[in-house]
Amino acid sequence: MLSRRQLLAASPTTLPLFLALSACKGPAVLSAPPTVSPQTQMLLHAVTAELNLIWVYKQAGAAYSGLAATLQPLLAEHQAHLAALRSRVIEPPGKRLPATVTVRPALAATQAGVLTQLRAAEQAAVHTLMSRLGGASPSLAQLYASIAASESVHVTVLSTRIGR
Amino acid sequence: MGTPSPTALAALQGALAAEHAAVYGYGVAGAMLTGRQQAAARAGWLAHQLARDTLEALLTRLGATPVAASAAYRLPFAVTGRTSAARLAAALEDGVTRAYLGVVAVNDASLRSFGAQAMQAAAGRAHAWGGKTEAFPGMPATQG
Repeated sequence: MLSRRQLLAASPTTLPLFLALSACKGPAVLSAPPTVSPQTQMLLHAVTAELNLIWVYKQAGAAYSGLAATLQPLLAEHQAHLAALRSRVIEPPGKRLPATVTVRPALAATQAGVLTQLRAAEQAAVHTLMSRLGGASPSLAQLYASIAASESVHVTVLSTRIGR
Repeated sequence: MGTPSPTALAALQGALAAEHAAVYGYGVAGAMLTGRQQAAARAGWLAHQLARDTLEALLTRLGATPVAASAAYRLPFAVTGRTSAARLAAALEDGVTRAYLGVVAVNDASLRSFGAQAMQAAAGRAHAWGGKTEAFPGMPATQG
């Protein structure tokens, strides 16, 4: 094992020799970057899930302009959810936040079908957020629960529109 | 559920206090409503009575004395007709949603889930009364 003094004294040319002789694997700064904590991993998944939902809403709005009055407020809330989730990512430093949609489902062929598709997506999102509560910090759990409450109301709004 | 922390008990007591207020407030609102709105107020009143009873039983089981209802509550504004009655019902549900947000912050997974489900129910009723959706039900305006 090299002492700190020996390591500092070693020149760039002699350092590899020192390392070889001491069976040292090198300074710790060369080791793998720290892994992302499970909580941050969940948060990053939540960000991606919102991105995916927003993508479907935008596709639905573009395909069926008659749904704009119903979908636009819900889309705006999803964008607020996304911004809030992104603002909670504090580790790892410098890591790029997810910005790519990972699921692009085919849009249903009818307006009623699209509404049903969106409702199912909202229900799934609520279910996923609820499953994340236990592993989250208190403040993050509150954010997940609040978003889940918002999205559960979206389910009601979409159901009402379907029933019209 | 293990031994509850003082924080968890305080959060549950806060939710119970909000349920007491909602039971009282729905009584006021229901008196001003008729027809379908009165039926909705009655359903809300019953839902909050059930939630109150559930919380009281839970707190008792945890060894705490459930907070009692006040004899009367100060309403946030004068309730003089159908419109203000509906607004009161929405305000009551917002208050209940905020109270359960505190339960979601405790370090017990089952209580968190319980609180989050109650938030969804209250947010749904708030929407039914107010007609508006919210991005962050229960959260302070500066957060979210």
